[in-house]
Parts: sequence; C-alpha cells; structure tokens
Amino acid sequence: MSAAKGLGEGLAKLSLSVASRENATYADFRLVHTRDQQVSMVNDNSSSEESTTLGVGVRVLFDGSGWGFADTDETGENSVREVTLKALSLAKGASKVGSKVSFAKEPVHVENWESRLVKDPFEVSVDEKYDVLRESTGRMKDENVVVRRGQLSFTTVEKYFASSEGSRIFQKLTYSGAAVIVAAKGASGLQRRSAQQYMSSGYELIKELNLPEQASELTKDAVALSSAKKCPEGKSDIILSGDQVGLQVHESAGHPIELDRVLGYEANFAGRSFLTPDQLGKLQYGSQHVNIVMDATPEHGSGLGTFGYDDEGVESQRKYAVKDGKFVGYLMSRETAANVGEARSNGCMRAEGYKLPIIRMTNVSLEPGDWDYDELIEDTKNGFLMVTNYGWSIDQKRYNFQFNCEKGYEIHNGSLGDMVRGPGYSGITPEFWNSCDAVCDKKSWVLWGVPNCGKGQPGQVMVTGHGASPSRFRNVRVFGA
Amino acid sequence: MMNMSQKSVVGQESSLREKAHQIFDMVKGFAREAEEVETSLIWNIGEYLRFGNNELGQSQWTQSKNLSIRVAKGKRQARATTGRFEKSLIEKTVQKALVEIRTTPEDPDYLPMLGPQKYSGVNRYFPRTLETSSEEKAGHVGHAIGLARKNGLLASGVLGTSMDELWMLNSSGLEASYKGSSGYFSLTMDADNGNQTGYGFSSFADIRELNPDKVSETALERAKLNKNQADFSPGKYDVVIDPYAWSETLFFLTVSASAGYTPDFGMRQYKEGRSYLSGRMGEKIMGDNITIEDDANHPLQTGPAFDGEGYPKSKLTLVENGVLRNVASSRISAHRYSDAKPTGHELPLPNPLGELPTNVVLRGRGQSKSPEELVETLDRGLFVTRFWYIREVEPKTKTVTGMTRDGTFIVEKGEIKRPVKNLRFNQSLLELLSNVEEVSEPVRNSGNFPGASMVNPGVLAKNFNFTSASVF
Repeated sequence: MSAAKGLGEGLAKLSLSVASRENATYADFRLVHTRDQQVSMVNDNSSSEESTTLGVGVRVLFDGSGWGFADTDETGENSVREVTLKALSLAKGASKVGSKVSFAKEPVHVENWESRLVKDPFEVSVDEKYDVLRESTGRMKDENVVVRRGQLSFTTVEKYFASSEGSRIFQKLTYSGAAVIVAAKGASGLQRRSAQQYMSSGYELIKELNLPEQASELTKDAVALSSAKKCPEGKSDIILSGDQVGLQVHESAGHPIELDRVLGYEANFAGRSFLTPDQLGKLQYGSQHVNIVMDATPEHGSGLGTFGYDDEGVESQRKYAVKDGKFVGYLMSRETAANVGEARSNGCMRAEGYKLPIIRMTNVSLEPGDWDYDELIEDTKNGFLMVTNYGWSIDQKRYNFQFNCEKGYEIHNGSLGDMVRGPGYSGITPEFWNSCDAVCDKKSWVLWGVPNCGKGQPGQVMVTGHGASPSRFRNVRVFGA
Repeated sequence: MMNMSQKSVVGQESSLREKAHQIFDMVKGFAREAEEVETSLIWNIGEYLRFGNNELGQSQWTQSKNLSIRVAKGKRQARATTGRFEKSLIEKTVQKALVEIRTTPEDPDYLPMLGPQKYSGVNRYFPRTLETSSEEKAGHVGHAIGLARKNGLLASGVLGTSMDELWMLNSSGLEASYKGSSGYFSLTMDADNGNQTGYGFSSFADIRELNPDKVSETALERAKLNKNQADFSPGKYDVVIDPYAWSETLFFLTVSASAGYTPDFGMRQYKEGRSYLSGRMGEKIMGDNITIEDDANHPLQTGPAFDGEGYPKSKLTLVENGVLRNVASSRISAHRYSDAKPTGHELPLPNPLGELPTNVVLRGRGQSKSPEELVETLDRGLFVTRFWYIREVEPKTKTVTGMTRDGTFIVEKGEIKRPVKNLRFNQSLLELLSNVEEVSEPVRNSGNFPGASMVNPGVLAKNFNFTSASVF
C-alpha cells in the first residue's frame, strides 16, 4: 500500500472525528503528496531541481451555512487536530453571516485510481534528460539565434480524500511535459518559435515528442520570421492551428463556463462571465460545427484534466458545454450545481496540492469535425493560417479577446503562400465562434495540455487539457506585430 | 517506500534560526561527498478571508515550510527541495541532490559559495499583522458587505495577511535571514452581472497602514459612477492611470515573451542578446521625467535585502531620466563579463534565466500630486481605474495588449463626466513612459498581481492607444 494512502487513512479518521465531535454539517479531508522535477537549459545555462511536498487540507461546513478551510504541511496528529479546529473556527465565523448551503448529491465512493503510465519519469536519470535538452538546444544554433531554451517537467501526485459522507478515494496521477523555444534576431526584430506539450503520461511522452527534430524545424522558422513581412491588417478568413484552437477554447469557452465565476464568487480577480444561467440551453454560442465537451474520463485521452475523482470526491464525467453551437453546460462543484438546480456536479473541483479546491477546467475540448486538413486549406480562397500562440488576453467577462500567434502564412486560392510575422486576430467570443465554418477531423485532433492556469486568491496554478484540431473562422479582424 | 510516520525535526516550539542551524548541520552530515552545501529554510503562514456575492464564502488559513538544499562539487551543482522535515526524508532529499551532481553538466561559471555578508536592516515584520484576529478582519469585510448591500451592490474580494520567514546558511559561513509580514485588501463592488463595477485596493506590511473604510468607499464611489456606460470610439486618448491600476502592466516591462517569459533587466540576458534592452545601454528609451530603480530597502518594498545566493542587494538605477543606465547583475556575471559588477540580483542557483530586479520602484519628476489631482489636471481624456490581462504583443517596442475593467471614465476639464464601456489597448510601454506628463505619489503595490512587487505612481500620459471596445 502507498505510504501516502496509509497516512491519509489514519489522519482522515482523526480529522473527521474532530469535525464530527464539533458538530460540523459536513467535512472533507485531503492528504496530498507531490513530487516535481524540472530540468532546463537556456542557451548554455542549465539547471535541474526536484521538490517534494506533503500536506493536508481540511474543509468544513458549519451550521449548514459557513465554510472554513485550513491546510498545513505538518502531518503529525496534533497538527491535523489543530488544523481541523482552525477550519472549524473559520467556518463558525462564516456561518454567522452565511446563508444556507445546498449540495448536489454524489454516491459514496471507496476506490483506488491511477493514471496511465508506461515509463515512470522519475526512474529516468537526470543525465538522460539533459541529453535530450542538449541535443534539442544544440540543433537551434544559427548566427541569428539568441535564445535556445528547453525544459522538461515531471510531476507525480498521490492524494487521499475522505469525507464525512463516507467516501474514501486514493489516486495517483503522473504528468510529463516539455517545451522548446528558439528566438532569432533579424531585420524584423526578435521572432520566437516554440512547441510544448504536457499530458497525463510517463516519460514515453518525451520520446514521442521528438524534441530535437522539432527544434530544427522551429529554428528554420524563427530565422525565416526574423526577415518576414508583417501580417497585414484587415478582415480575413483564418485557419488556426490545433494548439492555438486549444488555447482559444481554454480562454473563451473554458473560463466563462466556470460556475463559480458565473455566480459572482470570482468577481474581484478572475472576473465574471457572459454565460449566465438564463442563457443555458438558449444562447447560440457558436456555429453548428462547434461542439465543446467537458470530459475528465480516461476515454477522452490522457490529458492534464483526466482523473478518477475530483477534489470533493465526485466521479469524473463527460458532459457537453456547447452542443451543435448551443450553450448547454457548466463546470461545476456540488454546491454550485445545487445553486442552478442541477441534480449532480460534473466533478470540476480541483486544488493545487493540498490547497482549497475551487472550480477548474478538466479537459475542455472542441470535438473533431469532418474536414481533412489539406482539403481545408484547398477550400480556402484567401486568408491566413496562424500557428502557435504568442500572447493572449481577454476581458473579465470573456467577450473581447486578442490572440497573437508566432507565425502565419498567406493563403491564396487554396495554397499556402508567403510566411508572415506577428499574426494576430481579435473579436467578440460568440461572434467569433459563430463564424466557425470548419473543424478538422480526428486525424489532426490532439489533446493539448495547459500547465499553468492561474485562478483563486491566494493564487493557485492548475493543469488543464484541451483537445482541438485546426479550424476555420470567417471574416475575422486580423493584424500583424 | 518512504516512512511517513516519523517525527518532524521542525516544530514550532523553538526559533526558526535554531532549527535552520540544526537542519544545516544535519544536511552537512548527510552530504559529506559534496564540497559545499547551502540550505534555505522558508516558512509561510497566511490567513485569507475571501468573499463573494456579499458572503464570506472562502475563509482559508494556510501554513507551509520548505527546505531547499544546494550541493556542489567541483564545478557541478544541484538543488533539491522538500516540504518534509523527517530526518530520513531530509537525508533522501540530500541524496537526490548528490545523485544529480554526479550527472549534471559542469557549470563553467560556477563560483565557490559566498562567505559571511553584512546586510542593511529593513524591518518588514509587524507581528500585529498576523495577530489581528479573524473576527476583527471579518469586521472590515462585513463593513464592505454592509455598504454594498445598502447600495444595492455585491461585494467580492479578499483580505489576506501573511508572514514569510527565510533562513539561508552555507558551508562558507554565510547566514542570511528575513522575516516580513504583508497583506492586501482587494475589493470589487458590482451589480447587473458586472456591468456596473468599482474597485478598491490597498497593500501593507503593517496592518495599521490599512484603511479598510477608504478601500470600501473607493470601490463604492466608483461603482456608483460606473453605470450606463457610453459607447466610446477606440483611438488615441490622453489618460490618467490610477496607481493601483497598472502593476501588472509594469511587470510586463521587465519580462519578455520572446524568450518564454524570462526577465529582461539582467546582465546575462543583456549580454546574450536575449533581452529587448540588449545593445541599448545609454539609449534614451523613456521620457526624461521617468526614473526606474531597484531598491530592496525602499520603505514600501517587500522581501529580503539579499539575493538567491545571499549577496546583499544594491540600490540600482536601471533607467535614469529616461536613459537606460544599468541592468541587474550578479557574481556569475562579474565572473563572466569584465565590465560587470555584482549587484545582488541572482535568483536561487543554479539559475539558467539570469538576474531579476525584484524591488522595482518607478519614480516620476514632480511626484507630489494625488491621483485625484491628476484627474483635475486632465483637460480631455480617460481615467483608468484598473487594467486587466496584460500580455506582450511585440518585444522590441514592448508593445502589450490588455483591457480596462471596473471603471473607465471620460474626463473633461478636470471633471469625471461619465463612464465608458471597457476598452482594449495595444500600447508600447516605452512610448507610454515617454508620454508621461504628470505623476502622482508612488504607492505600495504588492499582492495586486502575483509576481509583481511594485512601488509606482499614477500617471497622466498622452496618446494612449485604445484599439477596440468590449460590449459592457
């Protein structure tokens, strides 16, 4: 048995009995053990670091109306007793000004769950990891190149969850990822090309990514971009690469369907959302080609949002957020699901380590369409192909967005033409998704990983997955930088 | 399999200094194979009363400790970090680092660890910030919620207080420590699903610096003004930017997306050509009324007075009267480049990114006005109370994009006339800082945007480039 599971079982019993003795309406306990490794090179500067954390987080509802949460990395029995009492004290304070909390029902689960893994990344030597980075950054050498960067990241999370309702869940999740970045200086300034992928996977992902080969191609691109013409300004049809569509989904679909922000609980920092409950089942969010799922199940793929159970013990599920273009679903917690009359949460409460769980994206993915990628280019009379994100920005209700990409190509009469630098596009979310008239098929669909989504006060970083394939949007405002 | 039931060697019954030395001796014992050892013990406690929809929905208390161990042998070094303080797990962490130095590449810039240093004293620890009861802080939140309710608004935000303590020791005899308290009160009052909003903010080291009523009144006043926003044509307008509106914007002056978000004002980045500033030393890059310093001892700044290897931080003038004068440096840069001297801006080693100024202070000539007086000075333009979601568009001109939120107002002849819908901008920060006409007094601006600990004023600037409008 995992040591984390054994420790979690003992401490959970203690914590939940303290909460029960103090008449908590509900309590849950999580013990989380995390192991991280980063190996990186920037030009000829290298570093590697491994870190481990272990802690517990206790969440308590008191008198049916006040929440309190406390966490600690002291895992002795006295500390766990104290941290439970601290959560209770905060919950009692909050209950004096709080209103009645309702929960959507969830079956009791007693389960063990592990993510798919072929090669444990922590069994691979640091030396072998440096070899990958040395070879990759070595292939970036060119007289105009000023940045040669590579980074490998690996994480294993073991977590034990127990609730006063009787659930007892142990999960082990492993994530692997890599990024390579090259930048070249030329007549048109400093131009960057990059590639990254993060998945719920073992070291096999690093082998599959073939980073050295990608580094060679990216270097050619960066050098060519450093003397390329600027993307012109105007209105145009655009085709976005799959990774860019993935980020577009993250920002303009994933965030506005987080039900906590929809209900106003994030108004001060993350913001609100234009997808209010009165729009559910009514708003034509996108065209008929737009189908967006929230899917944490392994059947969707090994994404950063794939797990067995969320951090309040709800089993992973698949639901539509947008079906045939219509807005139909939210990312929910048990409490917010009850707030909007849903019978069950779809399991989106996630926490960084042992911090407070909040509503986060799981795998929020654009389902593949039926277009072959080459045929989509051939079908486009005039426009631009835009590839890989450079910068992203969107207003607090998720309407007005602007994305900049690393490279672009003109499209003339169904063929790719000249390369253009700094391609960017902007729009208003529902108008943009309603202008989508083609989504590429399963052959070019990839479940991308976003390893650094920020939310919460104090801030937490979460990992999310976004399946997407290249897609076309009509008559969009474009520009160059 | 690890043993998780052993007793931790860090309790809270004795001082962290004593524990830091105890752990350092233990690490030295486990790391006999290494020639040099450095340990950093970091302790954080925080309490955050987070509220939304006029309810105290997320009250959190958090406590964490971290032990970061650096070992070196020859020209190889490695770091391993743990949040576990059981003796066997500290030994395991040391072993991980020792395994890494056997395989990690030799670092041609490796320098022996730093010996004992003298640091200037900055008191940033005010126990009452931590000792103030949850009930008293909840009272401040309750006051804000009460005001919001009375005015048909919803209050949301956070009142957070925290303490950080750090002890760095190494085998050359260095002992460096820091203890600081901090906090912030961030408040939004809104209605009509965020179509009507107002924002107030304050950050502090000593909770006595917090004027919660002022934060509440600012958010309320702006929310009351910010309804029925007019459509407004994008274009170039003169602006007054509130001092609390743009710490995120200024943060993007110091990091570049072109290298994957690495710091720009550092010697290694400058010399390797990675920075947008490379080759521009002595060049006028901003207006002559703008000076940017890095000053760890500034009374409104936060954090320790030493860098990631314990070197004392120097006060550094990065931009003087608009001219790029210096970039942050370190012992490694001084070793690598004959014209560089260490300034105390290294990140924890090994560090592939380069140096980072962590205590940026932006000053403008004539900085005696209040933000309200800047508005009174504006003949015609916009008053921006908060920028949001800033990202780089182009590195050389430092063009960034972002949005306004929580109140953007038309000003005519020094008076706020009416609110406008939120606007997107695409603006060169170098051009913005060349177009500053007036500045207000700098404020402490930490906690507002994670990663940015700024001391900065509000400004009145000409020709700010708004490029599109949102629908609310």
